[in-house]
Amino acid sequence: MANRLRLLRFFAARGAGDGAEDCLQELWLKISAAHSGPVAAPESYLFQMANRLMIDRYRSARQAEKRDLEWSAATSGDGHDISDAPSAERVLVARQYAALVAQEIEKLGERPAAIFRRHRVDGVPQRDVAAEFGVSLSTVESDLRRAYSTLKALKERLNEA
Amino acid sequence: MAHDNSIREEAVAWAVRTSDPAFADWDSFTQWLERNPAHAEIYDAVMADVDEAAEALPAVPLAANDEVIPPRQTIASRRGWLAGGMVMALAALCGIGLWQMSGGPRVIETDPGETRIVTVDDGSRIALGGDSAIRLDSSNPRLVTLERGQALFTITHDETRPFEVAVGTDRLLDIGTVFDVRLDNARMSVAVSEGAVQFNPDEQKVNVTPGHILTSAIGDSAYRLAAIPPAQVGEWLQGRLTFNDALLSDVAADLTRATGQKFDVSPAMMTRRISGSVLTAPVKADPKSLGPLLGVTITPTVEGWSIEAP
Repeated sequence: MANRLRLLRFFAARGAGDGAEDCLQELWLKISAAHSGPVAAPESYLFQMANRLMIDRYRSARQAEKRDLEWSAATSGDGHDISDAPSAERVLVARQYAALVAQEIEKLGERPAAIFRRHRVDGVPQRDVAAEFGVSLSTVESDLRRAYSTLKALKERLNEA
Repeated sequence: MAHDNSIREEAVAWAVRTSDPAFADWDSFTQWLERNPAHAEIYDAVMADVDEAAEALPAVPLAANDEVIPPRQTIASRRGWLAGGMVMALAALCGIGLWQMSGGPRVIETDPGETRIVTVDDGSRIALGGDSAIRLDSSNPRLVTLERGQALFTITHDETRPFEVAVGTDRLLDIGTVFDVRLDNARMSVAVSEGAVQFNPDEQKVNVTPGHILTSAIGDSAYRLAAIPPAQVGEWLQGRLTFNDALLSDVAADLTRATGQKFDVSPAMMTRRISGSVLTAPVKADPKSLGPLLGVTITPTVEGWSIEAP
């Protein structure tokens, strides 16, 4: 497996540390489950899957942490609701959070907002998005960078609340 | 979570590139990650934030005239903007009208769903909630009467010229303060986030301190003091309403005032209580969205919307 060492190195760099082997194991299981027969996935696909695996791990760890926090907040109450102040996420239940996201994205302007939706919501590859909008790939990337930055900042503001 | 700006920009750039299924340069990406362990962390945060946002997005139909809701401020920063020029920025964001007081007695009113900020006297500010009214008197600029509704007072304290708020038959004496006063359904309440307020200085002389809310029926000398998270005091000004075991009838009144959408409660439901917290702008845009947020059913009526608890 020529890719094995590179993937291990990737997992380690991605923050898996000693768990890199475990991650690799999990990746193989995922890929074999998705494909019947011998795995002959192109290299970039392997890395894409590996990267996705790490993002999913990060997200579930973050979810778990949040639940723990909410649990301790909910159980340490003195009956006066001070510790019961709702966390940003709990308050901004899906729809309201979505409205905020939409507003932030629209603020970037029509094209960046549309490009973000096309790529991230509709799942159209960046090169095809560029063709659709009649702009260069680097313009698409630059619009997406603005969208990503703005969404990261939004999340930070909500977390501080 | 303060990350170095350039790391952050790099992480965003990698996040954009690696989001594309066509991305192939995984070795360069690995090398970037290896340069600094912080890289992986910030990259993960960007990817997770954008994922969550992209997953939430399809749920919302877009209204071009959506209002911008400023994010909730921390208590520390709230002090900042209440005191300074951020009020102007906030006003610009929310489309709040800023009013300067001119001479003569006058009543300032708002419609449901409207917010105004009035600057009085020596820089003290009064933010007026929806469907509310205050009366000002130029002969005594340190006295304001809340005739109805809700107002958040940010008062410049002056030992020699105490500031007073008249509400119903009660008087509130400021002792250097940010406090929120409301009057509806023949009941008054005052909640304090900074400083202190004295309730009826000639009678009960109760000091209300930060993190407390005093309620009293108009004309009744009995009162009740309870705790309230200071961050909740005046949060309506930032487009948020929080209900803690609140009567459904009060919830409906608050929502009507804040959104300008008329909410009613069927008589049988008036005494039901609910808890929850909502941003008002999305509710204003779509009253039905309130249902899942507060665990209630929202049905259209001739005049507006009816709230029913399960």
